Amino acid sequence: MLRPTPEKTKSTKVPFKYRLVKAVDVAGLNFLTPVVRLCFGEEPRKQLKDIGLYIVIPIVAMLFGVLAWFAVSEMVVTKSGKLPNPTETLSAAGSIWDFHFRENDKLSAFEMTGAQRDARLASVESRLAELVPLEEKINQEVAAEGKLAQERATQRVAALQKKYDKLKTKLDSESKEREQVLKAKSESVAQDDMAAKKAYIADVRAHRKSLEVAKDELRDLKSKIKTLSDLKDDQLAAAVRKQTQIAEERQYLGKMKDQLTKANRDLKVTGALEKLDLDMASFFDAEPSKMYAAASKVVKAESRIAKLKLSEYAKPSTLPFQIKRSVLCVFVGFFIGTVIAIPLGVMCGLSKTFMAAMTPIVALFKPVSPIVWLPVCLIISSAMIPDPDKHFLTQWMWSLPILGKYQINPAFLASACTVALCSLWATMTNTALGVASVDEDHLNVARVLRLGFWDRLFKIVLPSALPLVFAGLRISLGVGWMVLIAAELLSSSEGIGKYVWDQFNNGGSRSFANMVVVVFVVGIIGLILDRMMVVFQRLVSFDDSPTAV
Amino acid sequence: MKDDSRYVEIFNLVKAYPNPYGDPIRVVDGFELRIKKNEIISIIGHSGCGKSTVLTMVAGLNEISHGSIAVDSREINGPGPDRAVVFQSPCLLPWMTAYQNVLLGVKKVYPHGTEQQRREICEYYLSAVGLANSMDKLPGEMSGGMQQRVGIARAIALKPKMLLLDEPFGRLDSLTRMELQDVVLEILDREKITTMVITHDVDEAIFMSDRVCMMTSGPNAKVGKLLTLPFGRPRNRADVLEHPEYYNLRGSLVQFLEDESHPSPTDKSTANAEQEAVAT
Repeated sequence: MLRPTPEKTKSTKVPFKYRLVKAVDVAGLNFLTPVVRLCFGEEPRKQLKDIGLYIVIPIVAMLFGVLAWFAVSEMVVTKSGKLPNPTETLSAAGSIWDFHFRENDKLSAFEMTGAQRDARLASVESRLAELVPLEEKINQEVAAEGKLAQERATQRVAALQKKYDKLKTKLDSESKEREQVLKAKSESVAQDDMAAKKAYIADVRAHRKSLEVAKDELRDLKSKIKTLSDLKDDQLAAAVRKQTQIAEERQYLGKMKDQLTKANRDLKVTGALEKLDLDMASFFDAEPSKMYAAASKVVKAESRIAKLKLSEYAKPSTLPFQIKRSVLCVFVGFFIGTVIAIPLGVMCGLSKTFMAAMTPIVALFKPVSPIVWLPVCLIISSAMIPDPDKHFLTQWMWSLPILGKYQINPAFLASACTVALCSLWATMTNTALGVASVDEDHLNVARVLRLGFWDRLFKIVLPSALPLVFAGLRISLGVGWMVLIAAELLSSSEGIGKYVWDQFNNGGSRSFANMVVVVFVVGIIGLILDRMMVVFQRLVSFDDSPTAV
Repeated sequence: MKDDSRYVEIFNLVKAYPNPYGDPIRVVDGFELRIKKNEIISIIGHSGCGKSTVLTMVAGLNEISHGSIAVDSREINGPGPDRAVVFQSPCLLPWMTAYQNVLLGVKKVYPHGTEQQRREICEYYLSAVGLANSMDKLPGEMSGGMQQRVGIARAIALKPKMLLLDEPFGRLDSLTRMELQDVVLEILDREKITTMVITHDVDEAIFMSDRVCMMTSGPNAKVGKLLTLPFGRPRNRADVLEHPEYYNLRGSLVQFLEDESHPSPTDKSTANAEQEAVAT
């Protein structure tokens, strides 16, 4: 009978440590591997070295980056203020976040009814009452700080000012003296003494020159004094910041109060209903001549109530909303691109004829910039969907579970199509390469087994092309994300790009810092998307070769 | 009509590659061989002599330039599951488990079988090669020897008319190789499949086969000599090694191979000098 073989008795149980290491590896977080290994006490020296290399050094580099940023932001002075430094950027991020939560609060306040509303109103009012003395205090503080700052500025420049005054009087008197001398000298010059006259004019020239030098000196001093007195006063700035914070909170609470009282939907509806009752009563009492007018008043009031019941709080789009919409848009575009690119890529890989047919098309359209595609897409999509409220495509998209909330309009579709058109090439060429370079041995297996076309495609060709397909998808998603921000900026489709454009245009005191915040938001989301694709790529790779990071 | 002594007939087989500066290069030229039913024949020769070319032509993976090949009185036309191949590298599909790799062929050969029947067939052959406990492993999790076992199970599960082994143990260490030789012989004794083994290992050829076909060196390679081995089946490694004829047979095989390695005259003289040195 059959003999047992050594392989047969091998244990299949893998220790927890190695499973953890593998999970970390598949998740694309290889820099954590030495930490895991260190936790299990494996070769501590080597792991510490690796931690130093892959964790400590990057952190140190980042710290250096932050320091450099601090330094650079002092030097870059623009019309919109200084380049925001890390602290300012962080506080801008915080206020973007606060704004988001406050808007959500207002939305819920608008929709609140009954006892819940009353309770909320009470808490808002008590907080408002608390804020009144605080605000007074901070206003006084700011005023006092302003005075102090003024004093401090005068103190700072006192020495220089003294020097300036002294210099000015000295130079003035000197020049006056010289002038006197020159005027006196003029009388001693003979009418026809050319040489003396020439000497005289040279003297005057010298006098003017020294006058200019003196003026320059004074101007230099003055500008020094100005910079010194204009120097930002940290204490004052801190007080002003606190004041703004309180003012913002008070403003928010005031709005909240509005949403809970006169702007509240439920209250508005109740008020309108009460009025409707009155109208009804006056209709019943109306004489025949006034009956028509009274009846139409009732009908109008009824239709207004119906509209009121459906009204929504006009929430401005906050950055978190824009981020979600952008991510959604990039995935819609990526999906459209993938659906086109993979079948075309597979066909290119399978058939040399098809590849020859596609090559010029790919070569021609691949380098086209998103900026060119976007207007074309915009025109086509708005021509196809002239009225988004009635078109079946937008209607269908609005009824979808997740997409529905994000106001999909022709501009959104145009941005998504631009993303698709710019990103599909990487997937397509990689798929074609993957399909064309299937291992000859594997194809021989298919030939020996006489597999049919579909079996060969789905069991042999596609699985072995999958790692390359995913490599292409990863590039596509990265390209798509970059393209999308530009596309949104140009098409005014709500999203991160639009947010940046709005900030650029409104020129508020915080908008520069907000833009810098967006730089990081875009970077971090791009990073997350990329890591996600790396994980997928790892999961479909059957060989154990590590994916490039 | 059917003649079991001519189960496989290879007639005047030629493989020629075009040569832009002269006549086509005939790698294999006039290869003729008849194989009996259930016979195991090994083909031995120097590397590059065209052994694998002959095998791939029989498999149908390589086009025939001239001549013909008939298996079971039918001329072959392209590859097919009636001639299963085990390649030197295991050629498993790395995204499928051992079981799925075997099942891929079984589905093709037993199109009308039920799920249960197919499952039984796959499990039977995987157990036959000693992988009863590793059916759900991916190729990446198996050693080279285990992968080659899957390759063998996949080939035999097709119930082929002919089994073609292209240096199947060439990449394995000698212990695993001996183990797998036993496994293959055991299965072949049971399944009775006509088999062609390509090898360049003289001992393997003697131990595994009923007849050894020695090929001349290429180009224009053909059958140089046929050697019928006097060992019965089932056979046992120790019995073969102790057989009185063993060393004579081995000697004649080695002699043929030495004669075939056309050394240049200077090489010959040094070879003679070496032989003399060994003699003294």
